[in-house]
Amino acid sequence: MASVAFRNIQKSFGKVKVIHGIGFDIADGEFVVLVGPSGCGKSTLLRMLAGLEEISGGEIMIDGKVVNDLESKDRDIAMVFQSYALYPHMTVRDNMAFSLKLRNADTRTTDERVANAARILNLDALLDRFPRELSGGQRQRVAMGRAIVRDPKVFLFDEPLSNLDAKLRVAMRAEIKALHQRLKTTTVYVTHDQIEAMTMADRIVVMHDGIVEQIGTPLQLFDHPGNLFVAQFIGSPAMNVFNGTLRRQGGRSIVEAQGNAWPAGELSQGRDGQAVHYGIRPGDIALTTPDQGIAAKVVVVEPTGAETELLLEVGGEKLIVVLHGRTAVQPDERIGLVIDGAKAHLFDEGSGQRID
Amino acid sequence: MKWKDVTTEAKLLLVGIPVLLWTLIPVYHMFLFAISPRDQATSGRLWPKDPTLQNFGHVFKQEHFYLNHFWVQLGNSLWIAVAVGVITLFIATTAAFAISRLKVPGGRTVMNLALFTYFIPAAFLAVPMYKTMATYGLLNNRWSLVLAMVTIASPYCIWVLKQASDKLPWELDEAARIDGATPLQLFRLVYLPLMVPSLVAVGTYALLLAWNEYLYGFLLLSNETDLTLAVALGNFLAADDSPWELLMATGFIYALPPAAIYYAFKRYMVSGLTAGAVKS
Repeated sequence: MASVAFRNIQKSFGKVKVIHGIGFDIADGEFVVLVGPSGCGKSTLLRMLAGLEEISGGEIMIDGKVVNDLESKDRDIAMVFQSYALYPHMTVRDNMAFSLKLRNADTRTTDERVANAARILNLDALLDRFPRELSGGQRQRVAMGRAIVRDPKVFLFDEPLSNLDAKLRVAMRAEIKALHQRLKTTTVYVTHDQIEAMTMADRIVVMHDGIVEQIGTPLQLFDHPGNLFVAQFIGSPAMNVFNGTLRRQGGRSIVEAQGNAWPAGELSQGRDGQAVHYGIRPGDIALTTPDQGIAAKVVVVEPTGAETELLLEVGGEKLIVVLHGRTAVQPDERIGLVIDGAKAHLFDEGSGQRID
Repeated sequence: MKWKDVTTEAKLLLVGIPVLLWTLIPVYHMFLFAISPRDQATSGRLWPKDPTLQNFGHVFKQEHFYLNHFWVQLGNSLWIAVAVGVITLFIATTAAFAISRLKVPGGRTVMNLALFTYFIPAAFLAVPMYKTMATYGLLNNRWSLVLAMVTIASPYCIWVLKQASDKLPWELDEAARIDGATPLQLFRLVYLPLMVPSLVAVGTYALLLAWNEYLYGFLLLSNETDLTLAVALGNFLAADDSPWELLMATGFIYALPPAAIYYAFKRYMVSGLTAGAVKS
């Protein structure tokens, strides 16, 4: 177990700069998820930590020791790849024992560790099979077993669930999280899937175009996104966002958009007349009768059982509302919307930064 | 639908049968000679009146002027072919690994040069090769033929193995590196086992190339006891009254090992050699 620190990390491929000075710390035993759209540099950052990619600038530290010039094998890390990267010509047992074999571990230790990892991951019955004889989920578990056997300082996961079907992905998500709670090994996990990030992480690092947009716990990011990118990236369905003008009237603030006044709660920043993005999460909108609140028209009703998703039209803008439970509203029906101003998110139109 | 299947089948047979005959008739002809007594060898019959295995006996017992060194020459052929196979395999595998997996600088240039050698027919190089071997004092030494054949076989083998290596998932190398493998361990424990089909194909290719070689053997070796069987077979035709039945019996024996090797490894030959056929 160990802490990890990134100090002003930069990466260029030839003349193209893909990571522009990233710095943050990961505490001992923490589960940190790097999340962002493809091409944001999250995998590159992970690969630099793994020693698979040269570091163009800055320092990476594991347990307070700079590892920039250390070979992968000397960094005491274990990595789980998206493609599993199991050795096709070795049995499950040999795959898991490979790293110990390279370190000339004695047979008893090796057997013990492999058996232990196999028990944790329910692989006991599969130890003598070859990877080609396993299902996707089993292969994924073997890849994790290979990492566990090492008992490394840091686990690295590079989109490990992307090749699995939706149902299995949810199951493996829980398994990885349970595994972390059991082993308490520092973990860095890369994904483009914000749900994975939200459900698994102690802390999330949201990346975009080679910079860190925001770092925080899942709920911090959800409740207080620091900028428009994070607001739209985190949460599903995504936050409703539209352009408007901030009006400050005494203690209260509203945002004028599509001829409606959207409540914005109490603000300490922002000036009257400022052009802003107004954001409100689909779950933070309640329905009322048409004569009250903001007038809206129902376009589509999507019941999913536990929740109902409504697509609404407000002054020409599309708006999504998620209701817990069922609703009697029908398409083309006119309704009113009630919004708690404290739940609204405001961002400067130019910089996209949050206005509190 | 059914009718279409029949016509397709018929068309295939129409092409297949002539090709089969084209391939088999010379072999059958050779076999026919080999089992005919000397006086019936050229009788033109489809099956000899008195088939005999006597010719093979003559060959095995070296009972003819041309066959005085049969066993030695067969041994030479085998020795040279195996040496060429092993050395080519070693060179091509290490080169392909270095270029494809370790991304050694200059690898592209090596590949381009290897491709360039395809444009030069082996026969063009015969005289320069002869001069070179003379310079190094290797003439009349089996190693001269081995070195020459390795030179000719290597570029193609490097190319095929490089293409096959490129298809191995890159993550395997990365996983092995993280697991703590040095490049040599990666080569030995991960790369080689996964390359077995291609290695068998390429090794067999080099081995058979050397086994079948005539021109270079003829040029570089001259002592009776150094010759390969392929060259010795050619010497049968030096006289006017060649013992055709013995020539064919020896040739038939000579053709058996390649056939056996090919049959044993045909699974690998098809998948292994086509692996490098197209640039992917």
